[in-house]
Amino acid sequence: MGVRLAGVRKSYRRRGEVLAGIDLELAPARPAVVVGGNGTGKSTLLRIAAGAGAPTAGSVTGRPGVVGFLPGRVPASSRMPARAYLRHMAAVHGTRQDAGDLLDELGFSGDLDAPVARLSTGNVQKILLAQALGCGAGLLVLDEPWSGLDAPAMAALDRLLAAAAATTALLVADHTGRAAALPGAAVFRLAHGVLAAEAAAPPEVRHTVVELWCPGDPAEVLRGLPGVRASWLGAGSLTVRVPADRGDGLLAAALARGCSVLGVRRDGARP
Amino acid sequence: MIVRTFAVARYLTADLSRSQRFLLPLLVHGAVLAVLFGGDPGPPPGPWAVSALVVYPTAAWLAVVVANTEAPEQRAVTIASAGGPARVTAATLLVAFAGGLVLAALSVLVPVVVSRYPYPPPVLLAGALAHVACAATGTALGLLVARPVVRRIGWSVCIGVAVVMATAVQPWLPPAGSAVEALVSGRLPIAQAALGVGLAVVAGVVSWAREIRTA
Repeated sequence: MGVRLAGVRKSYRRRGEVLAGIDLELAPARPAVVVGGNGTGKSTLLRIAAGAGAPTAGSVTGRPGVVGFLPGRVPASSRMPARAYLRHMAAVHGTRQDAGDLLDELGFSGDLDAPVARLSTGNVQKILLAQALGCGAGLLVLDEPWSGLDAPAMAALDRLLAAAAATTALLVADHTGRAAALPGAAVFRLAHGVLAAEAAAPPEVRHTVVELWCPGDPAEVLRGLPGVRASWLGAGSLTVRVPADRGDGLLAAALARGCSVLGVRRDGARP
Repeated sequence: MIVRTFAVARYLTADLSRSQRFLLPLLVHGAVLAVLFGGDPGPPPGPWAVSALVVYPTAAWLAVVVANTEAPEQRAVTIASAGGPARVTAATLLVAFAGGLVLAALSVLVPVVVSRYPYPPPVLLAGALAHVACAATGTALGLLVARPVVRRIGWSVCIGVAVVMATAVQPWLPPAGSAVEALVSGRLPIAQAALGVGLAVVAGVVSWAREIRTA
């Protein structure tokens, strides 16, 4: 089973063409992640995939009967108590599942009998996540699911989504980078109405920062040191940054030139 | 299909009952009934001509309230959860029409209970049919001037009032005008009631098509 978007286009009278031919296949164990700037049409694409909107042209086929959808903008108008809202949404989904466990896992801390509109942003997000994830959906469409969550809830959502994605087709819009870390995730960038597969993030290169005191002309010394990516000249010291795997070579070369090592530390930043 | 449509209808009713927005059309309608049937309304079906014509705009108002009860972002969730706009539109139509029928039932039954004139079954049936025709027409109009067809409530009011003013007072115009005309001239407005319900369904289809195109 798989959901297939074929040649999906969407035009609005005022905004013009937002989606200009989207082809996308959604299947279990292959979560699709959409990234892109604000206003590029991510939410429009997700609404269409979820069945809350129809494309101007093109088609969405294979959508299962039960879809879990999390909107990008949190509706703040519901006067209904959270508990009643979840019960009604389960019925609308055609399931009788209880979302209570999900709420516990996400660390819901509000009052289930208070109107949804009176809950905090994060708790509303947890309610909406619970209605989307707790309905036994065959397709999950989540628009920025991590937004508004605290750190423990974010980590809990990582686990929940990794588990759900194994058995459920999943489409996520995300700018936090957490969705890309889901197992099997394929990342697509939406720009100018079309999707382009985004190359996997470059492997993080760790660096070592070495602080040296060297006799003689610093420029001359630098030329003799291997693997230096960046260097700073301080009062009485020369600081260099090298890829972590070339740290030993640099130290050996520096010592051979008569330098003293003032300090060595790890630098996790990317080049 | 049916089970989940009714689930949406129950959800909309629960949401609506907490919003209090349904109170205003209900109170206005009740006030008109009180004035109309409070003193000596005269024998049937005369006073019903007025209450049937009042059900038309108040049922339309109620339909606008029902269709607009959810915020657009919330509606997107409901549509996706229900598996598409068809169930949500059908549920909206059901709840709005049920509301219109409540107003119609009040209009028919209040004079039967409070006034001293006899209401033989044929007259009662004619009155009920005329009110159903007007309530259904109101539901149709309300759905056509509410979200997702008309998104701004200001325009909803302007267009709705203009259509009611233009159509309610034309005795030849089906279904509302001619239903009242049939009622006062002693005929059963069966065709008008059927036409009204048909119009409400057509309005539902228009609303559904609009939901698909603009979502």
